[in-house]
Amino acid sequence: MLTTRAVQRASRILRHSRYLASVSSSSINPTSVGPFQVFDRNVKRLQKDRAASHDGGERSRTVDYVRDEVAERMIERFLDIKRNFNSVLDLGSGAGHFSKLLETEQTQKVMMLDLSEHMLNRDQDTEFEVPVEREALDEEKLLESIPRNSQDAIVSCLSLHWVNDLPGVLVQIKEALKPDGVFMGALFGGDTLFELRTALQLAEVEREGGISPHISPMADPRDMSNLMGRAGFTLLTVDVDEVRIGYPSMWELLDDLRDMGESNAIIGRRHLIHRDTLAAASAIYKELHGEEDGTVPATFQVIYIIGWKPAPSQPLPLERGSGATNLKDVL
Amino acid sequence: MQPSSSVSTATTPLRRLALHSTTTCATHASAYGKCIVATYTDVQKDTCKAEFEKFGACLREAVCYVPFDLFFRKLSLFR
Repeated sequence: MLTTRAVQRASRILRHSRYLASVSSSSINPTSVGPFQVFDRNVKRLQKDRAASHDGGERSRTVDYVRDEVAERMIERFLDIKRNFNSVLDLGSGAGHFSKLLETEQTQKVMMLDLSEHMLNRDQDTEFEVPVEREALDEEKLLESIPRNSQDAIVSCLSLHWVNDLPGVLVQIKEALKPDGVFMGALFGGDTLFELRTALQLAEVEREGGISPHISPMADPRDMSNLMGRAGFTLLTVDVDEVRIGYPSMWELLDDLRDMGESNAIIGRRHLIHRDTLAAASAIYKELHGEEDGTVPATFQVIYIIGWKPAPSQPLPLERGSGATNLKDVL
Repeated sequence: MQPSSSVSTATTPLRRLALHSTTTCATHASAYGKCIVATYTDVQKDTCKAEFEKFGACLREAVCYVPFDLFFRKLSLFR
């Protein structure tokens, strides 16, 4: 016999299944030829839109701490470049974590591009020192709206880890830059969230007997200089840094990741994690990685990259054999 | 830096699970976690079954967990 409770529950199931259906919609054909598709960009856009519009953006602002910290560290590197920029292009800007920190002495104008329109427009212009322009645009299709040889500087702060074709996007960035233009980026490296990754894997193996992808594959710091070189940048700088954050438990980490718009968007991911597995992962996280004070850490590994588009005016190494002084005499 | 705390208001089933797995059933969780850590280089399915059953039983009691387990089984009928 159907009770009111059962009816309510059934309607909740229906609503839930509708929600899942909308999440799983994707236009990508996995058998198509082209760059390997790892991430569902459509889902990523929806996740970011939702995160940015939840509670009028309040929840999203609360979890800005990782992006703000990395933006602070990146602006230090940017201000070290002794040059004035007519305009800076902020690729995957989010709400403008990096663009907010730009100074009028160095930069006249900033153009923010992001996949998610809601995230892009989350914060008011008054928070920016430099005049801002915004455009909702897929980072993977940069050259479709930005002309070649048009930008003084392109920056990207924590968005390239959701890009399917990273080598291709780096090439597009180089093409969009003017000769002697600079690209500076920060992206998450492969050790990011390794605690969560291992806890979920162990829990899934022990509870269900297999694993499925929950944490994205991310770039290895050692590969970044090769990728930058392959894209045609010169005078490369690559360095790696870590941001470690303590959480009361795994659950707060999961909530915050969702509010950042950083939920799983891997193609072929499972939409449900069994709650037994989640509870098991929470227990494993705490025992395997927990601190003595009862908190659990989460590591965000950040790779900072700087590269320049080649130009004849740039300093180059001299020809082989053109040295006038023998090193033996000096040493 | 302090991340936001959001488990204080345990309204949804998942919130209750989060709350009880770290408070009410913390000892069972710890026993299970220790079992995994002791064997984590060679974990197989049900290596720590006994420990998890105790943890799971505690959670079921605390969260009133069975209906939601059924809820997910029903959900699978719809898919």
